Amino acid sequence: MERRFDVASLVAALGVSLLGLLVLLDATDVIRLRFAVLGPLVCATVGGTLLAMGLTRSG
Amino acid sequence: MDSEETTQVQEPAPGPKRLVRSREDRVIAGVCGGLGRYFDVDPVLFRIGAVALVLFGGAGLLLYLAAIALVPDEHADPSKRTLPQRGLAIVGVVLLVVAAGSILSHGPFHLWFAWPLGILVVLGLGIWFLIAADRSSGASVRDTGQRLLLGLLVLVGSAVIAAGGAWLAGTGNGTVAAIAVLAAGGALAVAAFTTRSARWLIVPALALAVPVGVVEAAGIDLHGGAGERDYQPVSQDQVRSSYRVGAGRLIVDLRDAHLTPGDHPLKLRVGLGQAVLVVPNNVCVATHAKVGVGQVRSFDRTNGGVDVDWNNQPATAGTNPRVVLDAHVGMGQVLISHTSAAAFEHRFRLRFRDKTTIVTNETNSGCEVSNATR
Repeated sequence: MERRFDVASLVAALGVSLLGLLVLLDATDVIRLRFAVLGPLVCATVGGTLLAMGLTRSG
Repeated sequence: MDSEETTQVQEPAPGPKRLVRSREDRVIAGVCGGLGRYFDVDPVLFRIGAVALVLFGGAGLLLYLAAIALVPDEHADPSKRTLPQRGLAIVGVVLLVVAAGSILSHGPFHLWFAWPLGILVVLGLGIWFLIAADRSSGASVRDTGQRLLLGLLVLVGSAVIAAGGAWLAGTGNGTVAAIAVLAAGGALAVAAFTTRSARWLIVPALALAVPVGVVEAAGIDLHGGAGERDYQPVSQDQVRSSYRVGAGRLIVDLRDAHLTPGDHPLKLRVGLGQAVLVVPNNVCVATHAKVGVGQVRSFDRTNGGVDVDWNNQPATAGTNPRVVLDAHVGMGQVLISHTSAAAFEHRFRLRFRDKTTIVTNETNSGCEVSNATR
């Protein structure tokens, strides 16, 4: 069965959206965003995206 | 005799046993099923072990991800999974391992991670480019040129987006920047379902999200202009309660201010750069300093890295005046000294590990000895 979406783009979208949400919460003083959270999240987003790219083919 | 020899068909020698992910016996990706077949053991045992490793420390998850990346699928066509693709998956797994390690160890995310991880990401993008080139190996020189031009445009565009996002977040428009990042994430998600080649959008989306995140996490505030500001008040009346510079260097030299006994609150704010407080030997300094990325150096003590939160509230000795410092530097250094020369000597010499060390013979000499040495 042909996959109808690009997994790598979806993983990246999820990570970027999560980053945006955390930045929004920080900007509105709901949370205090720290590198202890940001660093692993960026790593996980980029790592997950690259892993998905390596395991799937685009288009 | 000859005919007998020619009719004998030799059985092909069995090849070496290969570890593959099982298609028939799989729960997630067939790793445990493949291991069970390879070692001729019930795969349930591997599954129990994997779940236990996930629950106790999370190593099982990382090992499983690594196995997905490294162990081929049972029916996979070897020609379909290229070497660069496998390399890309390995780079991804390494980054995931670092991310999980940082979370599970509950330790700080050290700044020294940045260089090797940056190199890894560049390596990953290079491999991605190789894969794209490999896929279009039949393309003409003109197609390759167009692809290179498009790649260059995406990179330049991403750099502009990164600078714009960082500036937006640093000038107090964090909410707007966050909405832009959310919009980029949403656009990427929509493109993942609707466009056949949405991957080129990943780079600009990350180029926007990461700098905005860094600026917010560091608490960089670029208000207050840029450049070097040197304040040397010659009386207590000239000492302001707050000093600020957006990017650059802020020096507040209180050696000629003749502070009277008692507490003197003082705020220093620097978005990007160095905040320097110089006090005479008889003035005690109580400090609460926050640095997103960089270093706090207070007389003979240094603390550097990311998310630095320095709090030292010594009591003053006798009737000495005490400066109650509240300093915040997004990225850079807070320096407290008896001599302004130290500011030049130690400018931007940041230590990249979280630890406190004695670096000079200077002490917070205006304070009680037992507290000042803390």
